[in-house]
Amino acid sequence: MTSHADLRNRAGVGNAFPASQPREGERLADLFGTSEDSEVLLRAIYAEDRVAVPSEGGGYRVVELPVEGDRYPGISDSDPAAFVEECEIYEQFGVRPRGAKPLNRLLVPPHGEYRFPHLGSPAPKELRAPHYVAGPALEFPVGPVRGVAQESLYIGLVTSGEEVIDLYLLLWHKHRGIERRLEGLPVEKALFFVERAEGLSAVANSWAFCRAVESVLGWTPPPAAENARAIALELERLYNHAAAVAALGQATGLSVGQAQGEIALEQLLRLNAAVFGHRYLFGVLALGGVARLPDMDALRALLPRAREELAHVLEALFSTNSFLDRLEAAGVVAPEVAARLGLVGPVARASAADLDTRRDHPFGAYRDHRVDVPTRPAGDVLARMEVMDAETRESLRLVEELVAAGDEAPEAKGSAAAQSSGTLRAGSALGWCESSRGEVLAWVDLDGNGRVRRARLRPASVRNWRAFDDAARSRNVFTDVPIIEASFWLTVAGFAR
Amino acid sequence: MSRLGGHQAEGDLAPPRASRQDHSAPLERDAQQDVDALSARLGSDVRSMFSRSLHIRTVDTGSCAACESEVRLLVAPHYDLHRLGLFFTPSPRHADLLLVTGAVTRAMDGALAKTYAAMPDPKVVVAVGACPLGGVYSEDAMVHGDLESVLPVDVFVPGCPPSPLALLHGLLVAAGRLKEKVEASDFCFRGELLDGGAPEGGVPLR
Ligand code: SF4
Repeated sequence: MTSHADLRNRAGVGNAFPASQPREGERLADLFGTSEDSEVLLRAIYAEDRVAVPSEGGGYRVVELPVEGDRYPGISDSDPAAFVEECEIYEQFGVRPRGAKPLNRLLVPPHGEYRFPHLGSPAPKELRAPHYVAGPALEFPVGPVRGVAQESLYIGLVTSGEEVIDLYLLLWHKHRGIERRLEGLPVEKALFFVERAEGLSAVANSWAFCRAVESVLGWTPPPAAENARAIALELERLYNHAAAVAALGQATGLSVGQAQGEIALEQLLRLNAAVFGHRYLFGVLALGGVARLPDMDALRALLPRAREELAHVLEALFSTNSFLDRLEAAGVVAPEVAARLGLVGPVARASAADLDTRRDHPFGAYRDHRVDVPTRPAGDVLARMEVMDAETRESLRLVEELVAAGDEAPEAKGSAAAQSSGTLRAGSALGWCESSRGEVLAWVDLDGNGRVRRARLRPASVRNWRAFDDAARSRNVFTDVPIIEASFWLTVAGFAR
Repeated sequence: MSRLGGHQAEGDLAPPRASRQDHSAPLERDAQQDVDALSARLGSDVRSMFSRSLHIRTVDTGSCAACESEVRLLVAPHYDLHRLGLFFTPSPRHADLLLVTGAVTRAMDGALAKTYAAMPDPKVVVAVGACPLGGVYSEDAMVHGDLESVLPVDVFVPGCPPSPLALLHGLLVAAGRLKEKVEASDFCFRGELLDGGAPEGGVPLR
């Protein structure tokens, strides 16, 4: 398998920001701004994805890039993955890469009558909508109010008939300014919002956040809590993949497949409620541990039914040729594109990228439990479906392994309560996790009183939406777009947070 | 206006569960019994009041995506809203009922107002989840903080997210509200001839 970094290094473009040179084999995982005393400081996070023993920093490197004046050497020139972040930094802090490269509006809505706040002080001057259509093509507007109970999002479908010539997204309608809201909050309160940044990845995002806070404060969660966290994370992956399968059934007009997927989904949600007390696993994690341990008896009793249901729907779909034909060659993300845009999760794995933070940057219970990572080379919707199928099996296996491990160490039970009495320290740290959508990062800077000075949340949706237009353009027609959307299974909430 | 009790913004919302000893069948059955009981009431109300069809339009105003997931499950086999005569419609012009999820972002003001205006009278608005109740985000430059400061809300369904069962309950209350509004509206012809005839454009209620 080819790693992101190999593909990028092959391009061999020099970088003008000396400090931001990726080292051999590194991938740019995130780029964001912070402002200190009206000085803007950029931070780039580089990840070294290796199947290896955990190294110092867990295989992540945070690089500080001081900005002088309002310009900095563009990073997206050599690393296109950074373009979205450069736009975001401009929008929030008013500093931009050198050169005349136009920057897109990303999250701050263009509704002039309000003074929308920014993270930094200077408000940016010009921001343009990312697209302009002329000639024989026409733009077909979809959204922001879309289908039944779909998230608000504007899709500009550019077409000359049936083929999708181009597609662009406006994702700012749901921007709630959560990162700004977190500033000054005590960490426990911040956790409440972190969960709600992307409700369908609540466990993954809050685990990343908790890990960041815990490494600043030097807290170590007890083993039973780490075990419980991993069980919750795998349950979250299971219900999300079931939901994606149901959505694929719906998008392809396969009502039976959709209904079967929804039955599995509802069963998994009821299982979550029985085991952890919440259908979407909100409030499970706490700083320093978990708020509650799983009800293992309920888990053991309910898991076989859910497993049966999942196996049933997946087997049925994989033996329905009309369904598989519909997925094949739809929404292709080429491996080069996945590498260039820095994609993560099942979308990247279906495009030959062999990445999984649970294996490459082991944390918590994953230090003791190895994860088998499936990849596919084709990059189409079918490949993503196959990856989700394999991951579903792997998650079921992991849950069983974790339950067994929890039984072996009964003395650890009851000591999983969150330890909130530890010492408070100032400092910053990075936390990471693998949601069902891919790598999740959270970076926090705490003051000495257990309050957040700046928190950066980077759910996987932030990375993967940037490949959606590419996937939709690749010789697809209108009706492929919902299929591609279901196979990506991203949330707008996570991007717009 | 009705506020449904029973669910808190946080930490909702397991379906009611049976004894802790035996987890296999009872949990499933109990939850499903509640669903069936509520559905029967809702179904008969909708049948008698709205000739078997009540149409719902949803608008997301900045949710975390979990509320959306629960609303979608209303039409899934376990709940199956369609058999009760309730349908989701993509067009607000066909909708009697507006389901609003999310933090009510100011960026959605225009779209929300247009959707509401496009719906024919009488109509009811249902706020779904703690977000539009004002329980998650306080008002600031990005969000209104609660739905009531933007639209007249008829029913609040608390929960974060409200389970489909809670949503069914909310729809039951909303159907009742809609019936009151229909009966109070002047185009409603109740069978007796007033001043020698039905009001212009009048339709029989049943
Ligand atoms: S009410 Fe809760 S679950 Fe629903 S959108 Fe708001 S935060 Fe998410």
